[in-house]
Amino acid sequence: MEGVSYQRLPKIMIREMKDDYLKFNLTDTDASMANALRRVMIAEVPTIAIDLVEIEVNSSVLNDEFISHRLGLIPLTSDLAMGMRFSRDCDSCDGDGQCEFCSVEFHLNVRCDSDQTLDVTSADLRSTDPNVVPVDVAARALSSDPSSFDSDQRGIIIVKLRRGQELRLRAIARKGIGKDHAKWSPAATVTFMYEPDIQIKEDLMETLTLEEKRNWVESSPTKVFDIDPITQQVMVVDSEAYTYDEEVIKKAEAMGKPGLVEIYAKEDSFIFTVESTGAIKASQLVINAIDVLRQKLDAVRMQDAEADFKEFTDHMQGGG
Amino acid sequence: MGADPNVDLSSLAAPVSSAVDKFPLLPAFLKVRGLVKQHIDSFDYFINHGIKKIMKANDRIVCRHDPSLYLRYTNIYVDRPSTTADTIQELLTPHSCRLSDRTYAANILVDVEYTFGQRAVKGQKKGEQNEGPPTLQMRRRVVIGRMPIMLRSSHCVLSGKDEAELAKFGECPLDPGGYFVVKGTERVILIQEQLSKNRIIIDTDSKGRVTASVTSSTHETKSKTVFFMEKGKIYLQLNQFTKPIPILVVMKAMGMESDQEIVQMLGRDPRYGSLLLPSIEECASERIYTQQQALSYLEGKLTSFNSSKAGGKKEGMAKTILLDVFLANVPVIQGNFRPKCIYASVMLRRMMDAILNTDTFDDKDYVGNKRLELSGQLISLLFEDLFKSMNSFAAELLNKAYENPSRNSQLYQGQPSQILKQDMITNGLEKAISTGNWDLKRFKMHRKGVSQVVSRLSFIAALGHMTRISPQFEKTRKVSGPRALQPSQWGMLCPCDTPEGEACGLTKNLALMTHVTTDDEEGPLISLCYSLGVEDLALLSGEELHAPNSFLVILNGLILGKHRQPQRFAGALRKLRRLGKIGEFVSVFVNDRQRCVYVASDGGRVCRPLVIADKGISRIKEHHIQELRAGVRNFDDFLHEGLIEYLDVNEENNALIALYEGDIDMDDADNEKDANKNNITHIEIEPFTILGVCAGLIPFPHHNQSPRNTYQCAMGKQAMGNIGYNQLSRADTLLYLLVYPQRPLLTTKTIELVGFDKLGAGQNATVAVMSYSGYDIEDAIVMNKSSLDRGFGRCIAMKKYSAVNEIYSNNTSDKIVRPEMDVAARKSNMQILDNDGIAAPGEIVRNHDVLVNKYSPRNTRDHLPSGSRNDYRPSNAIYKGPEGETTVIDRVLLSSDTNGRLCIKFIVRHTRRPELGDKFSSRHGQKGVCGTIVQQEDFPFTERGICPDLIMNPHGYPSRMTVGKMIELLGSKAGVSCGRFHYGSAFGEPSGHADKVEDISYTLVKHGFSYSGKDFLYSGITGYPLQAYIFMGPIYYQKLKHMVLDKMHARARGPRVTLTRQPTEGRSRDGGLRLGEMERDCLIAYGASMMIFERLMLSSDPYQVQVCIKCGLLGYYNYKLKTAFCSMCKNGDNVSTMKLPYACKLLFQELQSMNVVPRLKLTEA
Repeated sequence: MEGVSYQRLPKIMIREMKDDYLKFNLTDTDASMANALRRVMIAEVPTIAIDLVEIEVNSSVLNDEFISHRLGLIPLTSDLAMGMRFSRDCDSCDGDGQCEFCSVEFHLNVRCDSDQTLDVTSADLRSTDPNVVPVDVAARALSSDPSSFDSDQRGIIIVKLRRGQELRLRAIARKGIGKDHAKWSPAATVTFMYEPDIQIKEDLMETLTLEEKRNWVESSPTKVFDIDPITQQVMVVDSEAYTYDEEVIKKAEAMGKPGLVEIYAKEDSFIFTVESTGAIKASQLVINAIDVLRQKLDAVRMQDAEADFKEFTDHMQGGG
Repeated sequence: MGADPNVDLSSLAAPVSSAVDKFPLLPAFLKVRGLVKQHIDSFDYFINHGIKKIMKANDRIVCRHDPSLYLRYTNIYVDRPSTTADTIQELLTPHSCRLSDRTYAANILVDVEYTFGQRAVKGQKKGEQNEGPPTLQMRRRVVIGRMPIMLRSSHCVLSGKDEAELAKFGECPLDPGGYFVVKGTERVILIQEQLSKNRIIIDTDSKGRVTASVTSSTHETKSKTVFFMEKGKIYLQLNQFTKPIPILVVMKAMGMESDQEIVQMLGRDPRYGSLLLPSIEECASERIYTQQQALSYLEGKLTSFNSSKAGGKKEGMAKTILLDVFLANVPVIQGNFRPKCIYASVMLRRMMDAILNTDTFDDKDYVGNKRLELSGQLISLLFEDLFKSMNSFAAELLNKAYENPSRNSQLYQGQPSQILKQDMITNGLEKAISTGNWDLKRFKMHRKGVSQVVSRLSFIAALGHMTRISPQFEKTRKVSGPRALQPSQWGMLCPCDTPEGEACGLTKNLALMTHVTTDDEEGPLISLCYSLGVEDLALLSGEELHAPNSFLVILNGLILGKHRQPQRFAGALRKLRRLGKIGEFVSVFVNDRQRCVYVASDGGRVCRPLVIADKGISRIKEHHIQELRAGVRNFDDFLHEGLIEYLDVNEENNALIALYEGDIDMDDADNEKDANKNNITHIEIEPFTILGVCAGLIPFPHHNQSPRNTYQCAMGKQAMGNIGYNQLSRADTLLYLLVYPQRPLLTTKTIELVGFDKLGAGQNATVAVMSYSGYDIEDAIVMNKSSLDRGFGRCIAMKKYSAVNEIYSNNTSDKIVRPEMDVAARKSNMQILDNDGIAAPGEIVRNHDVLVNKYSPRNTRDHLPSGSRNDYRPSNAIYKGPEGETTVIDRVLLSSDTNGRLCIKFIVRHTRRPELGDKFSSRHGQKGVCGTIVQQEDFPFTERGICPDLIMNPHGYPSRMTVGKMIELLGSKAGVSCGRFHYGSAFGEPSGHADKVEDISYTLVKHGFSYSGKDFLYSGITGYPLQAYIFMGPIYYQKLKHMVLDKMHARARGPRVTLTRQPTEGRSRDGGLRLGEMERDCLIAYGASMMIFERLMLSSDPYQVQVCIKCGLLGYYNYKLKTAFCSMCKNGDNVSTMKLPYACKLLFQELQSMNVVPRLKLTEA
């Protein structure tokens, strides 16, 4: 195996990009890299979320813990999160987690005085830092047409109040990672798939009648193949829609035409789908994830190499 | 077959109308009846009718000495539930009773007329002449006691209220009612199963003898009459006689002196005669020929108890027993024994039938031979007993007052309330319902556990509790018969819902549409029968009785007569019933084998509604259902118009019931089909109604192995969820709530009917059926940590703690003091106290925190001048909870209890997220504990980004065969992808109440999933695809009440029992973990003797003793002289010191106290 270099330089090709959605191809790498990226995006990219709630008055139907839990799960805009300190290693507040470097304070003060049920939503949360607000509030502020939100999208509902009920609290949001609690995970969905490589055996396919072709095309639960209306040839319309269900292969076998189609997964090519909760932009999420990943690797490098590697080599020699 | 000119060809040409969807009947049925109608009906019957009957039967309290002094009840009625506080009457609501530990009860009022009064007394004074008859006085609305009121019954404030009004009362609109609130606790009176009364039962007894028995039960007497055959001769067994009596003697004693008449009454078939011959011979050998001889023979066999009661004279005693006790259900009019003779002969004939032909035995387990006793009947018995006691007590008071007029003169002030003691009835009813002990000496009834606390663990648990039937047998009996599934319970009792273990098959549950009848008037029915051509018994000779072409007509176990055209008679009665001329629950059953027509109107029969069909064609047409949907028609209209009727178990035997209307005409060959179709009399409303409430929650139960459904029925009652809309204002001792309960994605019609979709007990979890990490063996499940973070399986446990501000006999009372504000107090366990000395809501409470800062007086006996601070000692109410757990005080309730003491209740709340070892279950009897919790990034995922909430091991499937669970997964998956709740009602595929797998698969494929429900997953750890496709989709998971937090326990050192000095037992006492016999055996076998020594003595109860080597008894150590001493030998010479388990020393001393001398023989080691 000498002489062969496995060194590859992974490439990213962005396919589709929205604020909270990103689809890209990651090529020239293998599953370990792709998976590491995915795992970091889910669990280790820091965001800000409400972590401590001091309830002054709560006469709503939901109890204090219930409301605190709900508050925690509200995604907050966390563009600052990468630069913030974890409250546990914040020097300026002795780990109290109440200083400006590691926390953001929120206030909520709502009382229902009308006969109608009052929805307490994320919009009622008052932040001390304009950069850290609930994501839907931020989205509304950015939106050009504020009226479109008014009626049906009032924000993330925290609790509903009836006449006379009141909710007053102080909440402190802190930086954290998804590993500690899912509320700090910036990712709604992070997933990848191997890019399929679909090859139709044209000569074999031509032996099928149109009816058979149609049957075969329809055997796939997702729309991967279609029949060209003009040439009446089967063609691949969307290879990425293929879910590796092997239905078409089974169908081909059932039709007595094994090998009609060959589908392989390209082992060095991944199609990533990233959806963000809105805490950070999906594109930023990927960049942050790469940063985090690099920091982790740096941390390994920065360690006292002598001491650690001695242990490591000892271990290898002893064990080997 | 040629064309029949009479047939209307156009009707034949018309397309066969598809079967009418009868499902809308069900909600209509439940709307009219509710799920616990049987309880409410029964209670209403008692309150409105039964109580009046009892009053009429016992309406006089007469003075023994002067019959003209009396009190007579003229009317009795029950008021609305109310309470009188400070002479102001206020309406009670059930919820206020629950919160303040009161009884939800109403006054029982009577109208009376009485003659004892002041004037009357004067007239009765000794020596004076009567001034004339005492004047009659009347009084209305005299309170004689308080009757606990069943919730949602006609007298309850909740009856007929709509949702908003119920909410105002603090009541949940989905709560079924049917229970009582006694002293603040909700109690149901369980349905009691019994063998039916007043019916002839042919059976074999333990000795293998053929018996015919009747358990007679009338208002006056209860007795059991048994005929049995031994060595070819037939005898009567009755408790009043010492020995079995030859049957011929009994017949002769009743005036049937001629043997020929007796034989004729049995029937002319010579086989009956020859069977009776040995009995006749025995009678003849005893030389009994006349009634007089027979009676004197009987008098010789009376038990001593009876003869002593008669005061030694036995004459006439036998006759009275025959009149009153023997077959007591047959009424005797003017001493006419003939009905009893006929009844006895019918019994004999049936017995002989059974001997000649063994399949005519009665099955005791047959549901038609059973009666269900409901709360109304049980309370009625209780009330009758108490009412009689009260009356006799009142009569006693009256007598005493008469005997001693001066002392009790106030009794004659003309106040009936002075002799009618209210508390007797009030306390009696309250005590019985709150303890569940029905101890009625008058009716020889001693039952325990009749009432139970309503299980409020989940909504379904409470509902299931209302439909439960408690068994007639004791649970310990190891018999299989009564436990087996009876074919006759089809549609009446749920085939799935029964507990496992000792009560298996004995405790049952009602099916969804079952109704239990209440008593109906017999009188009109009897006269109706006669006018329909029943020939009166009195006019028939014995020979005619069993004439070959006639059937006996029996009403509620009473022989009315015979009828020559039984089918016609039954048809006429049924027609009248459908017209509503007689009660809808009257059953008519033609028994061809016994040649009898049984008409029943008694209470306690189970019955269910069925659609009437004429020659297989349903009477319900599409337009009926449309009218129902439009709301212009309700269930009762269907009943009154003769489209639907109730059939009881017996009458079902005369019916041919089709499952679906459509089924009928697709069957078999033409002629056979016609025959079948013409015979069909009824059509089921919906087949899934054979299941009960609990089994109705299971989706696709008909695809599961049957025990799995039974397991789920038990587990559904332990699932956490919502209790009711009023759950947060309730004050239960223990309440488990789910934080985010959901309704199942795969529902059933039953779920919607009972309201489970509004009060769910579980969550739809995305389940991947695969092996993962090895922490999922033996039914363990792997959970996704992120799902738990987001609230999956999160629950709230609420517990009640109460403290009472005691009032003592010397008018002192506890006092609650504001906590001292100094620093010391602040630092201690008083932090959560408010200024009023009571812990504040919202505070976090820890173990040993003070809930109430309370002081009790040191002296509670003597009257003292107002005490100073020193007279009081602290008696704080202290919170005891697990160490390290942070709980919060949710609410604090202040109320006064029945004795006027201040009662402080704390509701303490604890929110828990699932942890290792918590128990979860799907709806298919597949329970499992959480084996490990795994980070989301390690979880497998699909390319769509779907990541399961939990992983279940596929080994759970093959042996359990819960195919229903697989279909549930498929259906739920299709449901989430297409946005429609899918259905899985039992047997619902043909009628469209369950989605077919084929359709589900189609939906799945349409939304880009595999038809099989399997997905292509990537490993979250490596990023590589998994080797196999994974069956994945949502399944409704229940969190069960068994949680590790409540069970985990370990101890190093801790408390010991004072008596034995061994460690205490049980978690609640912080007990030790026992090294039991079997563990000890292991150690012995292994040879770890020092280990045994350590475990069994050193770590348990070591004790140093002084043993006298000489006498072998225990001595003692004299600390003054610093020597050991043997008190037996009176010296300390041979005493040595050794260690013993304290329990061993204790045993020696206990033995010594019984004059057994244990001696220790010591040798030098």
